[in-house]
Amino acid sequence: MSGYEHALKYWYPIAMANELAEGQTKHTQLLGNDIVLCGNNRGSADVRTAGKPLLVQSDYGHVWTTLSDDPHPLFSIPEASEHGRRFVPCGVVRVSCSPLRAVENFLDIAHFPFVHTGILGSEPHTEVYKYDVNIDETADEVFATNIKFFQPQASKSAEGGIETEYIYRVPAPMAAVLYKTCPPKPEYLDVIALFVQPLDEETCDVWPWMALYDDTSSMADLIQFQQLIFVQDRSILENQMPRRLPIDPGHEIPTKADLTSIAYRRWLKKRGAYYGAFEGI
Amino acid sequence: MSTEPIGLARDLAPKGVMRAQIGHTDIAIWRSTNGVVSAWENRCPHRGMRLSHGFVRGESLACAYHGWHYDCSGKCHYIPAHPELEPPSTIRPSIYSVVEQAGILWVNTIADADPVTLPKDLLSIRSITLACDLPTAIDSFSSAAQTEVSLFNGSVSVFSQQPSILSLSSPDGADGIFILFQQPYPHRVVAHVLANNLYQANDLIALSRWCESVRRAAEQNTQSSNAPASSL
Repeated sequence: MSGYEHALKYWYPIAMANELAEGQTKHTQLLGNDIVLCGNNRGSADVRTAGKPLLVQSDYGHVWTTLSDDPHPLFSIPEASEHGRRFVPCGVVRVSCSPLRAVENFLDIAHFPFVHTGILGSEPHTEVYKYDVNIDETADEVFATNIKFFQPQASKSAEGGIETEYIYRVPAPMAAVLYKTCPPKPEYLDVIALFVQPLDEETCDVWPWMALYDDTSSMADLIQFQQLIFVQDRSILENQMPRRLPIDPGHEIPTKADLTSIAYRRWLKKRGAYYGAFEGI
Repeated sequence: MSTEPIGLARDLAPKGVMRAQIGHTDIAIWRSTNGVVSAWENRCPHRGMRLSHGFVRGESLACAYHGWHYDCSGKCHYIPAHPELEPPSTIRPSIYSVVEQAGILWVNTIADADPVTLPKDLLSIRSITLACDLPTAIDSFSSAAQTEVSLFNGSVSVFSQQPSILSLSSPDGADGIFILFQQPYPHRVVAHVLANNLYQANDLIALSRWCESVRRAAEQNTQSSNAPASSL
């Protein structure tokens, strides 16, 4: 099975819920195919490619579609139904890079002091302490746990620097979910997810979505905070060579801090998720 | 591949980083705080980030992504995520030969850099980028110089073929201006302009403006020759 055929079996975000008024159309791409959305009266959209209707579902603040008639089910985020959380779709950031590079960057903490300076990290607090990475065999997901990192401004709601705890989950090749310490409620974890729409193997639309405990920040401030972070990431992602993610060891040199990235690449390889992967020498 | 003029030494200050391209090779060029110039493969071995986006600290270039520090020999000597770790000596980008001569940064990606010998005491005027191919750039400067009598005496000669260097005579008949051409990409040429020290300040300003007019003409010729016939 080719990387493309493998990628066909998943759901991908193509719009925010309620983005389209009834009858309003929007053109986009998915895995190199032209897609047309037409807003309906349920806050969702009818979706077609080359005239053929596609399956659609609304979840996690977005409209999702798939090119398959028999897709894998959309992964579950249980926190999406918890009372008390604010759900924040953050819009879209287009990035000229492989969708897999976008996910891998989201799983990386060692870049915080250099790319998100003064926000998610700062020198001299650069050390990445030992953490754990596992493949959950039942769910077939990558999990990284016991990550701790000093953050000057962990979120919009943070007042001063804190040591933040992180848990990462990779439930699908082009999605990642992050659980991190909620600054106003340290006993809870905020959820930040990255849903990636692969336009083709070297271009993607990134749809961040959050489920937070924060009753004070304005929606605009919450979105602006995440947009700033992702625009900073884009300056990196569009300058990584090659644009596609090298999955085989030997092309790039990881360290212990990259355990999540190493596990992610192995997990992609094992399942044949080569769409957006670099297969050169 | 010959030794190519990729920039004016003056434009790379201490702690500065530049990007260049020779053939298919993407290059990061940087100058340490103490003035040492290095030219490397433009790719951090860790996660492929272009090193030309990095920053200089002391005698090291640090990658913009994770701050890995490389010394002037190219060796990675500090990984911020593991401050106590002595990085393996194998972590280094490919290193290219670079020398400064006649105010120019010369790079050779295959062998030792061996610059063309130019006269002494030339002033660095400017580098200018043209959106056209190399023959068009050379022809444009050459033909424009033959009609620009206040700056030149109309005599234009090819000083060097590889790399391409034009010599334009000043009104007194001496070698007045040297224009060094480098083509980083198809339809992209960088021209480095040097002048002898007999020109006055007003002449140098006029020279810089003349270069702009040549660039516009070259790009217009390229656009009109690329345009479909129906629009002519």
